[in-house]
Amino acid sequence: MIEFRNINYRINLKYILENINLTIADNEFVAIIGPNGAGKSTLIKILLNIVSDYEGKVLIDGRTNTDWLKDNRIGYLPQKEDFDRQFPASVLELVLMGSAATKGLFRRFSTDDRKQAEQALDEVGILSLKAQQIGSLSGGEWQRLLLARALLTGSKYLILDEPEAGIDKPGVTNFFDLLAALHKQGKTIITISHDLHMLNKYCTFLVCLNRTLHCHTETDLLTAEHIHNTFGDGVKLIEKDY
Amino acid sequence: MLSYSFLIHALLGAILSGISLAILSPFVTLKKIAYMGEALSHIAFAGIALALLLSLNLTLTTVIFVLAVAGLIGFVSRFFQTEETNVITIFLSIAMALGIVLISLKKDYSFDLASYLFGNVLLVTKTDLWSLGLLAILNTAFIVLLYKELFYLIYNMTMAEVFGIRVKTVYYAFLLLLALNIVISVKIAGIILVTAQLILPASIAFRLVKRLKPAIVISVIVSLFSSLIGFYLSWVFNLPTGAVIVLVEFVLYLLSLILYRKSQKQAQ
Repeated sequence: MIEFRNINYRINLKYILENINLTIADNEFVAIIGPNGAGKSTLIKILLNIVSDYEGKVLIDGRTNTDWLKDNRIGYLPQKEDFDRQFPASVLELVLMGSAATKGLFRRFSTDDRKQAEQALDEVGILSLKAQQIGSLSGGEWQRLLLARALLTGSKYLILDEPEAGIDKPGVTNFFDLLAALHKQGKTIITISHDLHMLNKYCTFLVCLNRTLHCHTETDLLTAEHIHNTFGDGVKLIEKDY
Repeated sequence: MLSYSFLIHALLGAILSGISLAILSPFVTLKKIAYMGEALSHIAFAGIALALLLSLNLTLTTVIFVLAVAGLIGFVSRFFQTEETNVITIFLSIAMALGIVLISLKKDYSFDLASYLFGNVLLVTKTDLWSLGLLAILNTAFIVLLYKELFYLIYNMTMAEVFGIRVKTVYYAFLLLLALNIVISVKIAGIILVTAQLILPASIAFRLVKRLKPAIVISVIVSLFSSLIGFYLSWVFNLPTGAVIVLVEFVLYLLSLILYRKSQKQAQ
């Protein structure tokens, strides 16, 4: 279970997040929605302790996030991962990053570690690409690589920041099918997304965020009012099908 | 030619210094901290000047001085929230100015700028060779034992931390090792060669291979080859050894660019 308690985060006196109180139960498929600049990615970064100068408390399984993260990992797919396209790493080498912490200092990856990484790649459907250089991947392949890396952490939590970015529409559907399968296996999934159609189809719990929380409810209970409160009056809901 | 022991010392010095720096070269290049290497070598100049002025142990004084300034750079950029590159540039200039002032204070010492820029491999002592040999072993052990952490920290340090990899400690240890290499090599190889040996071998290697481990091996081979050829040419034509080694490496760099272009065209 993940709990955000009285979270406030300011940059130069401007509130990025204000009075966030939110509990996410285990085995939910949670979507965080909100306009650009709403603080969605910041909330995730606070959970992961990438952003640490906030007020309030974050608890994971009853322990503070900093304490929990000392001996646990969260499978994380960032919105954008800064790296040099020419970086000399193969797909398999980057996936192994997910299990590097459990190996500890001075220990090299074993054959068993490589087999587990290959299994993760197989699970996300890109095992055939394991020897390719990471810079040569398409948007969809890249997201699958990041998902394989997140899976290799063995964490029950998977956190995704706009995973549909840079993928074509059939690719997005395939990717969310994959997430749904992982959710069925018992993973707690938290994803930031702008694709309300996908979220409505796959997610079990919705968090509407625009600096403050506007709703946190089961997906079925989401109303047009929630959307308008979060995104403002200029937004219209349009039904679309893939 | 090798019947002269000082020449053997010089050749071994050039090779060992080249190997030590070439092992670190791919990591320095990929982490984009070649500028830090150059700055540290300039800062070492002030340390050398201070040691000469006060008649202190050259290596020890320079190591302490470089590490103190490197720490000061980190502190100033964090405490005053200033761009680190700017702070490095400021301290680099101050260190150079301080070095020149300190050298000028030592009236009985005639300063040779060329030997500072290009080093003087012909003045390599047995102690220097031992230091360089130990450094080459230390560098190799560091890279072999912490390869996994170094690989992910140069890929993306923030993400490596998110995945629980202890990259911060390893990164500071790497910077410390880099400073130690620069201080020990700069006396023999000079600023220009140290900077070149930190950038050129890996730049050549990454034009030829797309993986880190082979790039490390190629960097070392490039460095060895250019040290041997450069040393031979400098002896035949009576030229400064450090400068000729840099020029040989530059020719190899040009060749690697041509080979890279050819392979790109063939791939198309």
